[in-house]
Amino acid sequence: MSAIALPRAAAARAPLWRRVSSQETLLAAAIIGLAVVVGLINPRFLAANNLADILLGNAYIAVAAIGMSMVIITGNIDISVGALIGVLATVSGSLAVAGAPIAVTWLAPLVLGVAVMGLQGVVVAYLGIPAIVVTLGMLSILRGGLISVTGGKWITDLPDAFHLYDIEIFGVIPMPVAIMAGATILAAAWMRWWPRGRAIYATGGNAEAARLCGVSPRRTLVLVFLLHGFFAGVAALLFATELRVIQSTTPSGLEFTVITASVVGGVSILGGVGTVVGSTLAAILIAEITSALVFINVSPFWTHAVQGALILATVIADIVRRRRRLAGDVR
Amino acid sequence: MRKYLLTTTAVTAFAFAMWATGASAAGKWDGGDDLPTNPLECGAGAPAPAAPMKYDGAQPTNPPNLAGKEITVVDVPKLIGIGYFNATSKGIADAAKELGNVKAKTDGPTEAKIDEQIKFIDNYITSGVNGILFAANDPVAIAPVLKKALSNGIHVIGYDANSTPDAREWFVNQSPFNGIAKAMMDAMAKEIGEDGAFGIVTSTFTTPNQARWIAEMQTYAAKCHPKMQWLETVEAQEDNVLSFNQATTLINKYGDKLKGLFGMTSVATPASAEAVTKAKLCGKVAVVGLATPNAMKPYVHADCVKSVVLWNPIDLGYAAMYVMRAVVDGKLKPGDASVEAGKLGKLNVINGSEILLGPPFIYDKGNIDKFDF
Amino acid sequence: MSAVPTSARAPRIIVRHEIILAAILVVALIGLGRLNDRFLTVDNLLNQGRLMTEVGLIALPMTFVIVTGGIDVSVGAMVGLCAIVLGYSWKNLGFPLPLAIVFSLGVGAAAGLANGLLITRVRVPPIITTIATLTLFRGLAEGISQAHSVRGYPEWFYFLGQGAVFGVPTQLLILLVAIVVFGVALDRTSFGRTLYAIGSNETAARFSALPVDRIKLAAYALSGLMSGLSAFVLVSRVTTTRSDMGMGYELDAIAAVVLGGTSIFGGSGTIWGTVIGLVMIQLLKNGLALTGVKGDATIVVIGVVLIASVLIASSLQRRRE
Repeated sequence: MSAIALPRAAAARAPLWRRVSSQETLLAAAIIGLAVVVGLINPRFLAANNLADILLGNAYIAVAAIGMSMVIITGNIDISVGALIGVLATVSGSLAVAGAPIAVTWLAPLVLGVAVMGLQGVVVAYLGIPAIVVTLGMLSILRGGLISVTGGKWITDLPDAFHLYDIEIFGVIPMPVAIMAGATILAAAWMRWWPRGRAIYATGGNAEAARLCGVSPRRTLVLVFLLHGFFAGVAALLFATELRVIQSTTPSGLEFTVITASVVGGVSILGGVGTVVGSTLAAILIAEITSALVFINVSPFWTHAVQGALILATVIADIVRRRRRLAGDVR
Repeated sequence: MRKYLLTTTAVTAFAFAMWATGASAAGKWDGGDDLPTNPLECGAGAPAPAAPMKYDGAQPTNPPNLAGKEITVVDVPKLIGIGYFNATSKGIADAAKELGNVKAKTDGPTEAKIDEQIKFIDNYITSGVNGILFAANDPVAIAPVLKKALSNGIHVIGYDANSTPDAREWFVNQSPFNGIAKAMMDAMAKEIGEDGAFGIVTSTFTTPNQARWIAEMQTYAAKCHPKMQWLETVEAQEDNVLSFNQATTLINKYGDKLKGLFGMTSVATPASAEAVTKAKLCGKVAVVGLATPNAMKPYVHADCVKSVVLWNPIDLGYAAMYVMRAVVDGKLKPGDASVEAGKLGKLNVINGSEILLGPPFIYDKGNIDKFDF
Repeated sequence: MSAVPTSARAPRIIVRHEIILAAILVVALIGLGRLNDRFLTVDNLLNQGRLMTEVGLIALPMTFVIVTGGIDVSVGAMVGLCAIVLGYSWKNLGFPLPLAIVFSLGVGAAAGLANGLLITRVRVPPIITTIATLTLFRGLAEGISQAHSVRGYPEWFYFLGQGAVFGVPTQLLILLVAIVVFGVALDRTSFGRTLYAIGSNETAARFSALPVDRIKLAAYALSGLMSGLSAFVLVSRVTTTRSDMGMGYELDAIAAVVLGGTSIFGGSGTIWGTVIGLVMIQLLKNGLALTGVKGDATIVVIGVVLIASVLIASSLQRRRE
């Protein structure tokens, strides 16, 4: 009896090094480590406004990655989010130019995002069409549709009140950073401590087992897509209010960047693993790397190669770490 | 074992990057191409007219005689969905309306990809248009499909971004590359002084026009502003937000040392201006570049940007359409020295088969509100 | 046997996805042909065959990869890399052109092999591996080329991309041969059967002593090799090299494969389906363009067609069960 109890007691309180070596802590360490290294080479990297700029300029990716992480945790994927963000940003900007009240211009992308993603979620959950196919089709529809409707015209006369970036919480924290941090914390807490949130992991880990435990995988999946649409709407808002001009085209490659942020953050496509804290940290790290490469004078021709290599290395490290953990874990 | 694989990959990647850094720091400004440059004379004054060259364009095979009759023309720009090509498209449409006997339409890829552009042109060849106007994503890659058009009796006229001369009849040149380079460098020198340092924000290093301008700017600067210092060129595709982020990174990296930013595309310039505005450096960091008026109005009015160098893209499209009509009507033939282009008057032929629009047009606080594109 | 009298049972129509798709294709062709008299001409159809070869060559091994339950989104980047390597090794390294061509094919195969090793040895899920290698390969292309294009090839080089044999475009012939080879491999060989087995139930396949890892490795390496071949055709067709070549090919290939009835979860699908999917997308784009529909609207139609066909095929198959 005691021989069995001992390992169980030990496992219930996993050793500190194991708890600490999670992907999230590794990412946090990498963010700080990189900042220190680059700061030694070019101290201007550590200037407060530079660090702030890195966060501000990429907050929208982190927010979009929250929803994407949820989708990936359930074992699906979405490649239409980039196009959707483009569309939502244009809708928001068009409403602002047309004189709608600011609250409406901020709410519209959220509602529309939820609607579009929710529709895709229903198709995936209830009609059994693989997510990659539905979102691939939707990507085309959104991209072509956006150009068709706007004629590619840029939105340029945005009213001043439209810009979220100028608002600051407590006079110090810019709105986008507050939104990014707040959304991450709320989502992470919900996924950890609320049953509906934990159901996401269950659905992704083993849908059949989840169903037998009373979780409805289908409803969870639709919920996840609805949330993903909400976060895409928030991301679109951040994206639209960053500059004074809205390009009415879909930002190219955005979906891959968001997926990369989720994946580097430790979310596994095999489902059931990963946190949104990880994906937010990963988004910050990726943005930091992009900036760092300019600061340390990496030849611009090799920037993407270095980025790709670093992403690959991080992903491999995550997989290796997880496999070693699985091998020796009693949990 | 795997750990070593990992580490070696990471290390090799970094080593590559570091080595390559050294290779590129060999003095050439990043983003410029290797073609021969021809810097203009320093100082104000119009450049001396170049010696006339022999016609070096191509001719369509047995084009149907449609002089005076209605023709269908398609315009295939680099991509649709940016202000610049919306403007050229408007110019083409305006000219078509004025002429009265042209049915014109603009259609193109939603991303600046040469392969897509080729497929668009190919489809229009099959559908039997009479004329094709194009702005090429790549001068060499577009040549085979344009030659196919010519061999089908379709008239081919280029504008904004040229192809190889043997693939089109005429090319409407907004301004010679060295002229743009001179205008940009002189404007920057005026704002930041003869020993100022600047950065460049461009689309990609493989975009031919931008690469030519940067190369010309380098030789012109070496000749006429030798003490000005080039710091760095960053790429930002045709993406607004990316351009903004890259410009901001440059500002943060160089701090006080950076006195000016060049924006090489109509996307990069407003984004750079926004970056300067956000960093509260208006008036301290100059922004000089190519852009459409609408996108720049807020910055010009805020005195953040003094002047925007461009030509009038509406006029460019307008001229291209008139050239097409003149070619179809037989009024413009190889060897001619000028062509009538409606309200633009007489345009001269330079470089054998290029038609010059005119000197660069400067938009500033005084005139920018007159334009809406 | 069954106690239900046969007359009361539903008629047993063997409705396979490929046949439904072929029917939709024929209807679409007739419709578009009516709207535009230049569409159904031999000239146009052969030309479309020429233009769809690059994506087609990639869609074939993509079918294999997806049948095993994997995916490869780095194919477009591999095309760019192989194109650059072709030009670079010829112009900068001084290889004789035929050697440069073979070398670039080799680089493609090596890249595909790298993907395969990461997937089978390190066990990184395919979508994640290939998203990471997508950036890496594209980055290598940009770094090696340093934004230079390589042009000025000898005349014989253009025969593949721009020539014709008895009126049929050269690259189309190559595609047809590839279709037959890949189709027979998937349908009739043990290699193909293993692919299906891996996709249906990888664990069971492993326990049945099938060389799962080796076959998967072969599939990804093939993906890389065909990307190299596609790059060769592309460079020959447009007479120059650019580091951004092939961008977007991965989504086009996946669309063709999925449209053709291959399940993204693995275990089913045929080369013939992929071919029909490929032809359908190409001819739809072409037919719509000839009818005067502009580029952006065409993209929307393709998206709708993709979702609609998968919906129709899936519901029809469900009814069959």
